Amino acid sequence: MMTKQAEIKLIDTLWIVLICLTLFSAWMAERAEPGFISIVIMAAVLAIKGRIIVDHFMELKHANKFIRTLMRAYFYVIPALIIIVYLYPDQIARWTSLS
Amino acid sequence: MNQATLPNPGQHFSFTTHSKNIPGNLAIWAAILSEMSEFAVMFIVYFIARVHNPELFFEGPTRLNTLAGTANTLIMLSSSFFVVRSVMAVRDDQLKAATRWLWGAVACGILYLIIKYLEYRWNAAQGLETETNIFYGVYYYVTFNHFLHVGWGTAGLVWVIYRINSGFYTKTEHEGLVNMALYWHMIDLAWITIFPLLYVIR
Repeated sequence: MMTKQAEIKLIDTLWIVLICLTLFSAWMAERAEPGFISIVIMAAVLAIKGRIIVDHFMELKHANKFIRTLMRAYFYVIPALIIIVYLYPDQIARWTSLS
Repeated sequence: MNQATLPNPGQHFSFTTHSKNIPGNLAIWAAILSEMSEFAVMFIVYFIARVHNPELFFEGPTRLNTLAGTANTLIMLSSSFFVVRSVMAVRDDQLKAATRWLWGAVACGILYLIIKYLEYRWNAAQGLETETNIFYGVYYYVTFNHFLHVGWGTAGLVWVIYRINSGFYTKTEHEGLVNMALYWHMIDLAWITIFPLLYVIR
């Protein structure tokens, strides 16, 4: 069981973590060379940010399993799609063509 | 729900006062999951457009205003944080503090809308319009949709401030506030996904 102070401290810390991750993304947008490594890092940053909000801001970490699983899955699937779309653009373009 | 998902009896932190251990109520989760699905469709549109137009999606982010996108990400995350602190304050029976946190979130919402408006104007001055190419078409489709969510979300935050001030919520009964908090976090989640897709990834 967390004390009230510990809860506040955790939330405050997570907010700072989210801010730092965002500034890091902005730096990547401006400076980093586009490539596989930066795509993986961006996908990981999104996964971490999403998980923090789902688990701690929405307080799903210890809540209803069905809702928690759906919400957490979102932040596995979208980051995974970012990487897959980067790796296999031509194949996906073929699968999504009408002709 | 099985036994394992029930709240731990001694647990202090939780939105959950109901038997199924659902933060807020089921209605708001139906809304949130629908909205998340709606945004998911937009992200799929983005991915499909991207694989068919790799050059446009490689160049597109470089002409957008990264500063505006970053500022709005910081603002959305901070507003979500303020909303969490507001819910914590209500649970602690500090209703005045709760409304102050919420006004902070409302200020963030308004600031977000102003920055987005200025960003659209900046884009227009650079010649970036919905019809410029498919990247900007997707950009306007997704971000304007999100813009509308921030608009009515901010109005919703003002409504819960009114409800707190009118004495509708107490330390133990404040489901409406929690529902609004969850909906606001959903708007935040959509934005943190939009930001890398449109502004960062190339």
